Amino acid sequence: MTKILIVSEIQNGAIREATYELVAIAQSMGGEISSLVVGGDAASDAEQMSQKGGGTVYVANDAALANYNQDAYYAAVNAAVDAVGPDLVLFSHTSAGWDVAPRIAAKLDAGIVTDCFGIAEEGGNFSFSRRIFNGKMEQKVVSSGGPVVATVQAGAVDAFDGSSEGSVTELSVTIGDTRTTFIENKSPEAQGVDLTKSDVIIAGGRSVGSPEKFEEVINPLAGILGGAVGASRPVVDAGWLPHECQVGSTGQIVAPKLYIAAGISGAIQHTAGMKGSNFIIAINKDADAPIFEVADLGVVGDLFEVVPALTKALEAAKG
Amino acid sequence: MKILVYLKQVPHQDARLDISSDGTWIEESNIKFEINSYDTYALEEALKAKDSEGAEVVVVTAGQDRVTQALRTALGMGADRAIHIKDEAVDASDVLGVAKVLAAVAKEESPDLILTGLMSEDSGFAAIGPMIGEFAGIASTTAVVGIEREGGKLTVERELEGGNLEVVEINTPCLVSVQTGINQVRYASLKGIMQAKKKTIDVKTAADLGVGDAISPKLTTEKVSVPVKGETAELVEGSTDEIAAKLAAKIKELGLL
Repeated sequence: MTKILIVSEIQNGAIREATYELVAIAQSMGGEISSLVVGGDAASDAEQMSQKGGGTVYVANDAALANYNQDAYYAAVNAAVDAVGPDLVLFSHTSAGWDVAPRIAAKLDAGIVTDCFGIAEEGGNFSFSRRIFNGKMEQKVVSSGGPVVATVQAGAVDAFDGSSEGSVTELSVTIGDTRTTFIENKSPEAQGVDLTKSDVIIAGGRSVGSPEKFEEVINPLAGILGGAVGASRPVVDAGWLPHECQVGSTGQIVAPKLYIAAGISGAIQHTAGMKGSNFIIAINKDADAPIFEVADLGVVGDLFEVVPALTKALEAAKG
Repeated sequence: MKILVYLKQVPHQDARLDISSDGTWIEESNIKFEINSYDTYALEEALKAKDSEGAEVVVVTAGQDRVTQALRTALGMGADRAIHIKDEAVDASDVLGVAKVLAAVAKEESPDLILTGLMSEDSGFAAIGPMIGEFAGIASTTAVVGIEREGGKLTVERELEGGNLEVVEINTPCLVSVQTGINQVRYASLKGIMQAKKKTIDVKTAADLGVGDAISPKLTTEKVSVPVKGETAELVEGSTDEIAAKLAAKIKELGLL
């Protein structure tokens, strides 16, 4: 029987939703499920995990595991791997997952597939579905023997919400000197723009071209609608707009009444931050752009024509 | 100080992608390539250190002849020399195999610092950095948006979800994978491009690096396909003015005007 090890994550004092998404994948595959729960004092989290589909739960409690630390987590995952002997080790594709999972794969001399949205087992081997080229293409990767380490995109499947009787076992982990030291967490400084409070967001992508073009084309539309200006990551990376304007999984998560995406292709990184918007209008030259998959209304066209025309039409309608 | 920078050449972000005839990758003929954007930020971070405190910057990549262009660009931006792993067995391997080969370069070069991008824009694995760290036996950290160096340690800011940051101290030598936006990437100057012509590109195989037997892939790509679309947007068509009028009417209907 396939042995699956789930590496859970604790955030703000509770097991993350993304971990229960891993449980859902493991449960759907069938097999012998084990989980690892790590933390400074994770006994109750481990108990909860054992009752919510995590199977045989190994818990590693250590002050060194209270905050994420690559060396300490690595030691804990290795101890769990030794205890379980898994065919498949599952992590969430998060800042902790992508940091430590590759090192575990290297240690095990195992194949690794990351940011998957689907995993299946076929005759003792695994197949993994994922997006490549910033979401433009889909890739199916298959294993051919030996253990595999995989990370799963957060939100790719619904979290497991069933219950099951599991067990909790203390895992002894030796954490020696770590080469990395956690210093502190920092939250983004609250500055002028709080996109999450805007009813309307007009967001521009790299193809807007420059800060001047944002002012000339995007700002007037935001102005007439009383909305805020947002952007995709490449725009803030280029320094055209401040970081707090960034919408996406590494920026602001927004859900306004109206979101207009101009010249944004719709990489998962961006759509993760805006797909919860009440109404989405996408304007993009490329008819195949993934942004149209999350939009309610789409315009295949040049934002430099459509956006000014829309601004003018709204001005006229306002009278 | 010696800084090793791993970079990858990927299809240009505006390239039109078609699936290759064997259905397992994209058609690479007739498209333009560029240095993976994440890696350009890693290179810039190395060049900044070279400018401020002096460093030898060595760029490393794997691939067929086309990647020479990426190395020349990096040399033109200011890197001192380049290592090109040219070996079809490496190209046909998986992330694990490629990481072993790239780590073998790190072992041979013994740099004080290794920089690379968080992920590539083609495969998007975000795995090779930490794997190189593991195979080279050094610490690693990922998604870094700020680096300060003091003595034998770096203090880095890692980007977490939702714009939050984590400050971590890390012993050197180490591997740091950087997030985009950490700096403003320079362009190669004409003078730089001229000088780059005199810089060396060492061409090596996996066997030259002593890992020729260790790179048969454990995972293979069975298929690459155009994603099946779920529900897609209702398309608004017509002349620009007609489109604008329809969008304006919808916005009015939503009560937002």
